Amino acid sequence: MIGAKSRRILITGGNTGLGLALAAKLARRHKLLLTGRKSEGEVAGTLPPGAGYLVADQSDPEASAATVLRGIRDFGWDTLDNAVLNAGTGFAAVNGIDSTQAIRASLDVNLLSALLQARALYPLLKKSGGTLTLIGSVAHKGSAAVPAYAASKAGLHGLARALRSEWKADVSVQVLHPGPAKTDMHEKAGYDPGFMRSLFLAPDDVAAMMASAIAARRSPVTLSWVKYLNGGAYTGRRL
Amino acid sequence: MTRSPKRALVTGGSAGLGAAAVSLLQAGGYEVVVLDKDSPAASENPVKHISCDLASRPELDAALPELIASGPYGLIFLNAGINATGHFESIEAQAHIDVIRINAEAPMVIFARLLEAGAMRRGAAAVFVSSLSHFTGYPGAASYAASKDALAIYAKSMRRHAKSRGVSLTVAFPGPLRTGHAERHAPKGADASKPMDPAEAARLILADALAGRKSSIPGSANRTFAVLGRIAPKPVTALMRRLIYSRL
Repeated sequence: MIGAKSRRILITGGNTGLGLALAAKLARRHKLLLTGRKSEGEVAGTLPPGAGYLVADQSDPEASAATVLRGIRDFGWDTLDNAVLNAGTGFAAVNGIDSTQAIRASLDVNLLSALLQARALYPLLKKSGGTLTLIGSVAHKGSAAVPAYAASKAGLHGLARALRSEWKADVSVQVLHPGPAKTDMHEKAGYDPGFMRSLFLAPDDVAAMMASAIAARRSPVTLSWVKYLNGGAYTGRRL
Repeated sequence: MTRSPKRALVTGGSAGLGAAAVSLLQAGGYEVVVLDKDSPAASENPVKHISCDLASRPELDAALPELIASGPYGLIFLNAGINATGHFESIEAQAHIDVIRINAEAPMVIFARLLEAGAMRRGAAAVFVSSLSHFTGYPGAASYAASKDALAIYAKSMRRHAKSRGVSLTVAFPGPLRTGHAERHAPKGADASKPMDPAEAARLILADALAGRKSSIPGSANRTFAVLGRIAPKPVTALMRRLIYSRL
C-alpha cells in the first residue's frame, strides 16, 4: 500500500522455508527481525538484505521466549507491530506411532515455544496495537502420518481462538493454516510425499497469501489450494 | 470378550472424574491400575497405585515400564489433567508448561508407548478426556484449551492405526464438572448446581467407550453447546468470554 508505514516485524523460523519466503516478501517495505536455530555464520548471505537475525533454538520453550525478548530489546525495538510465530518442526510417525522424543519435541517447538513467546511479547505488541500471527497447518484437523505434529498445530488453533478473544481490545491474534508447500520440511521430517509433492504450492505463493491474511487480521484462515485458485496469492490486501 | 481378569488403567484416578471412573470400572468387574501423583482414597476395593507426577518427564519415563507390565488392559481412561485460569499473560510460564505437559504430552506418550508395547488387548477401548472447550473455545484458560485441542486431534490422528491393532478410540468432551479441581477454577458467582456430577459423566463416557463410539459428549446441554460451537464458533467463544473471562 502506497504511503503505509514501515512495520517492525518479528518472524520466528525466518531463515528457511515459509518464514524466509515471507521475509523476502516483506523486507523491502518493513523492518525485520528473523530468528532461527542456525548460527549467524550458517545463514550469512541467505537472508534478505537489512533483516536482523537472532539465534533462538525452540527446543527449550522457556529459554526461547527469553532469548527472543532479549534479542528484540538488543535490536533497539521497544514495540512490535507484528509477531509471526512460524518456527516449527515435524516428524513422520514410524509404523504409525510417534516416538516419545518426537511427541515432546513437536509440542515444545511448535506449541509451547509459541505459547511462551506470545506471553513474553504481549507488552510489546500491546503498545503498538499489533498483530500476533500463529502459523498452524492444515494438519490441525488431524493426520495419521504425523499425529504429534497435527496435535501441536491443533493446540495452536485452540490457543489462538482463546487469545483472540482475551486480547481483542489490545492485540489482534490470528492463526493461519498453510497447506503443504515445496519447502524442505517434509524431507527433514523423514516423510516422502512422493508424486504429491508436485501438487504442493510454491513457498512464494504461500508467503503472499500469508502476507495478505496478516494484513486482514482475520482468523482462522486456511491458505491452501482453494484460496490459491481464488487468486489468493495475487489479490487481497498487502502488508 | 469376558476373559477374566479384565484390567483397566485410569490416569488421575485419585479424584474427580477419574475416581468416579475407577468406582464404575470396579463395579463392572475390572481390576484397576491408577496412575496418579496422589494416593487413591481408601476403599473396600483396593486399586494398584503407580505414583507419578505427569508434569515430570523423568517420572513418567520411569513409570512406563511398570505401567506396561501391569497390562494388558481392556480399557484405558486417560483423564489426568489440570487447569490454569486467568489472564493468559499474567499466568506463570511454569503453569502453562505444566498444563501442556500433563494434559496433552503425558497422555500422548502413555498411549503411544502402551500401543507400541502391545499393552492393550485386542478389542480394548481407549478414552482420551478432552474438553467441551474443543467446540466452544475457552478465553480465560488459553493453554488449557490448547492442550485439550491437541489431545483431541492426537486421538483422532491415531484412530486408524489403533484400529489396526484392535483398539478403539473414544474422545470425551465433558463440560463443567462438580469436582474440587473444577470448582477452584470456576469464575466467582458461577452457579454451583449447574456443573455435572462426575459419576454421571463417567458413566456416560464409559458407556460410549465400551460401545466403540468415536466421541462422547456427556449431557444434552453440553451436546447442544458443542453443536452451536461448530455452527457459530465466534459467537460461542464470545459467549464463553462473557461467562468466564470477564468474571475472572
